[in-house]
Amino acid sequence: MTRPSGLVMYAIFYLAFLYLPVLLLPLFSFNDGTIVAFPIKGWTLEWYRQLGGQDTLLQALVNSLFVGFVSAVMATSMGLFAARAYVRYRFRGQEASEALVMLPLVIPGIIVASSMLVLFISMGLKPSLTAVMLGHTFLALPFSVSIMKSAFDDFDVSLEEAAYDLGSGVVETFRRVTLPIVAPGIVSSLLVTFTVSFDEFVLAFFLSGNQPTLPVYIWSQIRFPAKLPNTLALGSLLLLASVLLLVVAEYFRRRSTKSTL
Amino acid sequence: MTETNIIQLQGIEKRFGKFVAVSDLSLDLREGEFFSLLGPSGCGKTTALRMIAGFQEPTEGKVLIDGQDMEGMPANKRPTNMVFQSYAIFPHLNVGNNVAYGLRNRGISKSEIDTRVKEALEMVELGGLEARGANELSGGQRQRVALARALVMRPKVLLLDEPLSALDKKLREQMQFEMRHLQQSLGITFVMVTHDQYEAMTMSDRIGVMFDGRLVQVDTPQTLYAKPGSREVASFIGEMNFLPAEVTAETGDTFSISTPGFGAMKIEANPNVARHGRHISVGIRPEQLEIARHKPDGYDGTVQGVVRDVAFYGENVHYHVGVEGLDKPIAASVPNYFHTVDHAPGDKVWLGVQAASVIDLGEDKQTS
Repeated sequence: MTRPSGLVMYAIFYLAFLYLPVLLLPLFSFNDGTIVAFPIKGWTLEWYRQLGGQDTLLQALVNSLFVGFVSAVMATSMGLFAARAYVRYRFRGQEASEALVMLPLVIPGIIVASSMLVLFISMGLKPSLTAVMLGHTFLALPFSVSIMKSAFDDFDVSLEEAAYDLGSGVVETFRRVTLPIVAPGIVSSLLVTFTVSFDEFVLAFFLSGNQPTLPVYIWSQIRFPAKLPNTLALGSLLLLASVLLLVVAEYFRRRSTKSTL
Repeated sequence: MTETNIIQLQGIEKRFGKFVAVSDLSLDLREGEFFSLLGPSGCGKTTALRMIAGFQEPTEGKVLIDGQDMEGMPANKRPTNMVFQSYAIFPHLNVGNNVAYGLRNRGISKSEIDTRVKEALEMVELGGLEARGANELSGGQRQRVALARALVMRPKVLLLDEPLSALDKKLREQMQFEMRHLQQSLGITFVMVTHDQYEAMTMSDRIGVMFDGRLVQVDTPQTLYAKPGSREVASFIGEMNFLPAEVTAETGDTFSISTPGFGAMKIEANPNVARHGRHISVGIRPEQLEIARHKPDGYDGTVQGVVRDVAFYGENVHYHVGVEGLDKPIAASVPNYFHTVDHAPGDKVWLGVQAASVIDLGEDKQTS
């Protein structure tokens, strides 16, 4: 092929349409002016510098990191066991169970958020970081289960049997054979589920109460035009962090499928 | 060899739902023997092995190892170790740590573990490869590591699940001899599962043949080949020509029979066969037949036929000879002594057989 065909042109246009608007965010975060419009007035790092001194922002960042960490650990540990069961065993209700676990991917966020709010309040759990963690664990679980399933897919059952045959008990086998072999999958799942939680807005908005996570904080700042450049800077940093995390996660996911062959 | 039974299977049965994988299997294995369970895939041999290992519990019956009932005893507590078909080498551990894996479960001192790992690796001719990564091993090396990892545990019984099926032909033949030597020098009981009759014949002291979950015959390789207990066994092990025969007289252990083509002969009754009737099946191994252009002298039975096919195998030549009155051509195999193929399709030839080579296979289910 010497000329780009129609399909290639279409793909390029499609990618540009998807990602160019995202690139505007970092572009304007370096703009020396408060109005987000061309032409660029000049280049500055002022907006990034100002981020450092804002206590509520830092508190929201800490909240987000904390919620992300806890949700990632909870979703990944549940996903680990669920995925092992799905791959290894055939049991009654397996398909229904797998479908249920994947459901959060397709239910509209606003529905999940409002029903969780009602549920938590009726259980006596006030909107708080704890509520957000539970919600995010629910949202992150399908990601964790799919990543761990691919880690277990290529895992030879006789490896666990061999460990057992050589005198290890169930727990020993899990610790000394299963865990190390699926470790890359676990790291990948932790990174992806952390990112899911870290970027999530709707559930956090409904459930966080007076302890905003970073996306909720950003939303609250967007209403003040003077704060907009700050928000752009913050958003650019988050974008960078998310992309990095997902790249690392993908690296580990691929390693996990390779290592057991 | 002492005559104690290291493993006793007492009427074990394994059902998965309605499917019966192993039915009423009783078997005594002697200490220090190399025993093979041989059968086509899906015959239940692997299930039987896994019940000895403790990965599966029998639905009925008992497994005794060294006189001790194994009921409720999990695999990690049994005095058996297994070499898996896939070898199951731990990919995250190097060779040394793979072999040391089981010893570390036993609270043995580090220096003793190192010594025993070294010995085990030398035994399988992998001395000095402790630091080699699991993913840097060839197929043959993986198999040796799996052997060392199991043998270092000094099991009472070593279980091998199709241990050679993943290797290429040359390596497989070499490993057959090596494993046999290893077993003889260690004196450990080996129980191997295989679908390859040659593997079973070359390595084993005794072979148990399984079909459809049933153990049909247990004997030495020579006896299985010379006195198979049924048509099924006869056709699974080696090649066999089957002929219908009519029993005309019976005196003690000798039958007078009449077969189409070869005519009347006196043959010995096969003690491994359960039932006889008036119509029986007899078998003749292809290499026991003489094939000649003129009627050969000194044979108990002769027949004339026409060569249909010739297959040149290198070490021997197979002729398929059509004989009047028989549906299937008779196969005769001749060693390739002089690098000649003496008969061509269409040639008229004579076949000769000694009565001692005609194997009684019992009641002919096809005609009676």
